[in-house]
Amino acid sequence: MSAFLDGLLTALQPGNLAALLGGSLLGVFAGAMPGLSSTVGLALVLPLTFALDPTPALLMMVSIYMAAEYGGSITAIAIGVPGSSPALATTFDGYAMTQRGEAGRALGISLFSSMSGGILGTILLVLALGPLSRAAITFGPAEYFGLGVFGLSIVANLVGRDPLKGIISALLGLVFFIVGLDVLTGAPRLTLGTNMLMDGLGLVPMLIGFFAIAEALKAAAGGRKETAPGAGITGALPGARELFGLWRTILRGSAIGGLIGAIPGAGATIASIVAWNEERRVSKDRELFGTGVPAGIAAPEAANNSCVGAAMIPLLALGIPGSASAAVLLGGLTVQGVAPGPLLMAERSELVYALYAGFLVAVLLMLAVGRLGIPLWTRVVRLRPSILMPLVVAISLVGVFALRGNAADAWVALFFGVVGFAMLRAGYPLAPAVLGLILGPMIETNYRRALTLSSGSHTVFLESPIGLVLLALAVVSFAAPAVRNRLVSAKRQAKEQE
Amino acid sequence: MENRATSASPRRIRTATLRGTCEPRSASNPPHLITLAFALLASATCSPGGEDAAFPSRPIEIVSWATPGGPSDLLSRALADVAPAHFDGQRVDVMTRQGGAGAAGMQYMQGRAGDPHVLGVFTASGTVNMATGRIPFGPEDFTPILRIQIDPFLVAVRDDSPFRTLGDLFEAAHARPGEVSVSGFGAASAHFLGFVRLRAAAGDPDVRWIAYEGSADAVVAALGGHTDAAHTNYNIVREHLRAGTMRVLGTALPVEALPDTPSYADQGYDLQPVHWRGVVGPPGLDPETRADIRARLMASIDDPAFREYMERAALEYATMEDAEAFGAWMTEEVTTSRDLLRRLGILDG
Repeated sequence: MSAFLDGLLTALQPGNLAALLGGSLLGVFAGAMPGLSSTVGLALVLPLTFALDPTPALLMMVSIYMAAEYGGSITAIAIGVPGSSPALATTFDGYAMTQRGEAGRALGISLFSSMSGGILGTILLVLALGPLSRAAITFGPAEYFGLGVFGLSIVANLVGRDPLKGIISALLGLVFFIVGLDVLTGAPRLTLGTNMLMDGLGLVPMLIGFFAIAEALKAAAGGRKETAPGAGITGALPGARELFGLWRTILRGSAIGGLIGAIPGAGATIASIVAWNEERRVSKDRELFGTGVPAGIAAPEAANNSCVGAAMIPLLALGIPGSASAAVLLGGLTVQGVAPGPLLMAERSELVYALYAGFLVAVLLMLAVGRLGIPLWTRVVRLRPSILMPLVVAISLVGVFALRGNAADAWVALFFGVVGFAMLRAGYPLAPAVLGLILGPMIETNYRRALTLSSGSHTVFLESPIGLVLLALAVVSFAAPAVRNRLVSAKRQAKEQE
Repeated sequence: MENRATSASPRRIRTATLRGTCEPRSASNPPHLITLAFALLASATCSPGGEDAAFPSRPIEIVSWATPGGPSDLLSRALADVAPAHFDGQRVDVMTRQGGAGAAGMQYMQGRAGDPHVLGVFTASGTVNMATGRIPFGPEDFTPILRIQIDPFLVAVRDDSPFRTLGDLFEAAHARPGEVSVSGFGAASAHFLGFVRLRAAAGDPDVRWIAYEGSADAVVAALGGHTDAAHTNYNIVREHLRAGTMRVLGTALPVEALPDTPSYADQGYDLQPVHWRGVVGPPGLDPETRADIRARLMASIDDPAFREYMERAALEYATMEDAEAFGAWMTEEVTTSRDLLRRLGILDG
């Protein structure tokens, strides 16, 4: 405990506090800007780590990472464009709530849930560093395959009215993921003979295309509803009673984020979608999900912030970066001469405790920075679509270019914009395609990897208990909506007959 | 073939040295993103060639096409950190240009032919990508300037592995074909070819190469017991070696920090595959300019702050005697990689 207090005192020193505050501001900004993400925010300050002492440099990086996960929800809620991919699930209910005029309420719920998730993730990091890191590496090809299939099975749930269209959308996402170099053989696939497609189509250009450009096209075609016609937008924040009433949701979301976040390579996007879906599954008003329910915002936002602390588990305990952002953090640590791994806690405990305390301070600063920003964002929402959407497209395209300094990415985003617009027109949901693009590589590579290791025998998938559980969950999750509908209509019939 | 600088890097109090070299830079250096956002404008307005007056007459750009925070990107940034003092106080910016397995950044350098103000970090992965045709360029499309470092390859196992030597691993593979697996970065990658050469020297037993997205992922697979060993770089397993959670069966070259670990050659496998990184310029730099840049880079990598980075990242100096030799090395690597890939049936012809 005293080690933790020492860490807290370190984090509160003026220079370190300034680094945390700077990181929080930059993090919220990077998260909220479509195209930029925590990874880009971290890469931006990487040069600074050469100049700063280890402690402020690391504190700045962790606060960027933390704040960006909340930042992503701002644009998701205000304009329906996920600011970064982990905020995808937040668009479902967040943007719907904004369309009702309750932008302030939605942002308040997101901020409170992000904060709670951030704190719970940090507590998990502090208490379960050793055991969870050991559990995380038991995830092998069969387990990743199971996780990927489970993630994809949610598609059937994400859609609601027309499961077939959702599944087609997901298949389209799977086709898009094939573009690029095959990880296992290095051979180019569907690259149309251009080396500019070798790195694949990319999640960020897809998000920008689907949610910014396609929406702008829809608005231009007169299809975007004026936000909250008549009622107007209120910046009114949710009350304390409503926020604390969400505690069960936040706990569940944080637990899902914490567990999935600790597995290297799984990531906050999957965690937040699983959390949203799980929340809907247990909810009494599950058919209201997607129409702007508070729990539909709280669950994914608690999950993606809880992922931040959890992603540090494999990084600190094993020196293994579990996400793209953690990889940049590892670069920063290397520059500072801090080598994460099994000996880190024993040799640099003062730094680790400062890091733990830094996370908690970063969460509080994120709360402050986020709270101050809410009135600004609710103003943005009031802009007319004819002004707002072109702005969003311009900013998004700059963001997608800045991500890798590659103009081809902007063309890919435009391509996805047209595809997304066509899909929206034909009534196909876009989120399943995104899920397909994220999970496709996880499912395919690990399926083939597992078979290579087992010399082609499929029993390898039956020998993994975790993998089996995940596959069983996938079947349940995939079939549940159909079974439930059948039961409901059977009950209704029975009633009618009485 | 290589001429390794051996002088031990003096440990210094880092805050003093790094602050001293960095403060003027961070004060005058605008945020990276803004530089990036105006990159198109800038490249359209400044004349390629830099024919005017003495070099350097403008800020230097280091084009980075590698993963942010990864080893090549860190080399770019470590250079950018120390170089201004050796380039007459000019700013040195790292420009991110990713895409097409590096081709996007390299394409950008082609557009700056003859301009000494643009440099790039090239690696062994680049020559392999040239060999497979993933990158539509060859060594002749660049001006090789200075090979800087090698990142030693090694084969590591979890502490409870039955294998003690490379011989144990390959014997097991001979005895049980297809049942011994080694994880490593990529397919048809520099890591893969490094391992294939070793395997060939051991009589080509059927060891499964399990490709992963990154070297660290490959180490996780070995740590988690999913594969029998990992073929990776020293710096990635360094902490696990110190903690005793992993052991090294053999290193491609003798590693100073691992005096008790026999190299491939010590164990009778006569080969030294290396993973190197160095600096290249755009095509068409004249020999005097190249010599000038090379001298400035040599001074930069001798900077205490740079030596400290090398030690922290567990990398070894591997400068080559001259730029010509570096160019010849790159060309030879492309050729031998291509031959090997053809023999493996991965490339046609």
